[in-house]
Amino acid sequence: MNFGYLIIISEHAEVDYLKLAYALALSIKNTQKEGYDKVALVTDKAERVNELKSPWVFNEVIEWNEQSYWDGRSWMDQLSPWENTVCLDADMLFTRDYSHWIDYFVEYEDLYVANKSFTYRSEKITSDFYRKTFTVNHLPNLYSFYTFFKKDSDIANQFFTLGRWILKNPNEFSNLFLSDYKPKVLGTDEAFALSSKILGIENDIAYDLDFPRVVHMKGMVQNFPWPANNWSDHLGFYFNTNGELKIGNFEQTDIVHYVEKDKITDEHISLLEEIAWQK
Amino acid sequence: MTKGILIFAHNNEYVDYAKLALVSGSLAKKYLKMPISLVTDKHTLEWIKKSKIDSDINNVFEQIIEVPPPVTNNNRHLYDGKDKSLVPFTNINRCSAYDLTPYDTTLLIDSDFLIFSDALNNYWDVCDDVLIAESVVDAVGQHRLGHLDHHISDTGIKMRWATTVMFEKNEKTRRFFNLISYIKDEYEMFADLFRFNPLQYRNDISFSIAKHIMDGYTEAETYHLPTLLTVLDRDILIDVKNKDLIFLFDEKNETLAGKIQGRDVHIMNKQSLIRNASNILESI
Repeated sequence: MNFGYLIIISEHAEVDYLKLAYALALSIKNTQKEGYDKVALVTDKAERVNELKSPWVFNEVIEWNEQSYWDGRSWMDQLSPWENTVCLDADMLFTRDYSHWIDYFVEYEDLYVANKSFTYRSEKITSDFYRKTFTVNHLPNLYSFYTFFKKDSDIANQFFTLGRWILKNPNEFSNLFLSDYKPKVLGTDEAFALSSKILGIENDIAYDLDFPRVVHMKGMVQNFPWPANNWSDHLGFYFNTNGELKIGNFEQTDIVHYVEKDKITDEHISLLEEIAWQK
Repeated sequence: MTKGILIFAHNNEYVDYAKLALVSGSLAKKYLKMPISLVTDKHTLEWIKKSKIDSDINNVFEQIIEVPPPVTNNNRHLYDGKDKSLVPFTNINRCSAYDLTPYDTTLLIDSDFLIFSDALNNYWDVCDDVLIAESVVDAVGQHRLGHLDHHISDTGIKMRWATTVMFEKNEKTRRFFNLISYIKDEYEMFADLFRFNPLQYRNDISFSIAKHIMDGYTEAETYHLPTLLTVLDRDILIDVKNKDLIFLFDEKNETLAGKIQGRDVHIMNKQSLIRNASNILESI
């Protein structure tokens, strides 16, 4: 089976996305079975990868800077070196083996996009605080942070091609399809949701499954009894030397999308590296 | 494998827990048809004799297990409708249920939990561990409950309700009760770790933390005892007719009359329950 994860980053003035992608790749290497632990990195500054202590965690490094608009993830189908790919956001961490999810997707799907997320307490997120556009415009609740696709799939090709058109022409598509509640920024989640709706494939690519399970650490959807922009104002983030992660009093066993980019420190990287080297 | 029910009763100057235990035990025995034992202390036993309910107590409970009276400087407010009293909270020794119970599988219930059905009998044969009531539902509506009725703190774990607990004696449950005992002894440290208010000791919080730790610090999808139908202490039980419990419910500064029929129910207004104890006992 030719399967791998894909992380797409670009240089940013304030956030070191390479560091986040490195932490994610280390956590993948530390937790996934052999054959399910390959990682490809797409970056606009490939030479920086060699500055890392363990650049080998990236099985493939692809330099790419052809598109100037902000999110290159809509090009995931063009960029992936794998026949079967899961494209992830960089600010995520793996906490256990999820290879059985991959077995399912490879066997049964051409394209599948995550369509639910969870709080750090494992509650399914039902708040649409950050997703009013989805609710008001009746868009499927897609999260691009975990997108599986087969490279040779027609449906995936149509889906990503239309997604790119939407991202290139946000005003026109918002005007026509999102007029009831226009998003301030038409991002990849909105583009993917709209693409699937226009193609009429939302029930094929985002039906209800028990996985993937992703903890989405945006502050206002954590079911705190008060408003909270930053979850870290209220909760601790604890890594131990086994790479196990607690947020507050909760051991995390799902993929953690920690959102706040400063959560990954050099100390966390060192812990993950130690585990990777001993594996 | 023996099965039975266990109730704790330690009187204080405000609440006659022995009478509550008599009511709760009588109903449990009638509807679950299981043997039942009482854990109490010498002062409460003296009061039982003095108040002349000793023969009733002996009829209902197959074993009276005497333990030293719990020592506590823990106080809490108990409401009786709008009246409020600060009373000692003596029910702090439930962590000793594992050592005290005479049964292999035990249903531990609060003395203010009234059983009017055999629903809990469905759990004896599936319980090979610890089962706790998962949550509460207010008899009037969930809008009267707040975040801290469902969680032990603002950002913390789910509140399990130790009003009903079923456990089988084994190594795992022994550790579970040892852990509860440790949490009780180090309550302030656990309050720092789990960020709850330690001012008043609560069995529910200790049981919730122990369950969370035993489940690997996760919200494990395990089995629970049924959600507790609960009547808050600002509501008043005014009459009992057969299986009908008739209440005055406090709803947004208005008073509603209503009844609960044939349902297991947790009545938090202990004084109104004591006032109606004779009615309930007569109806059994």
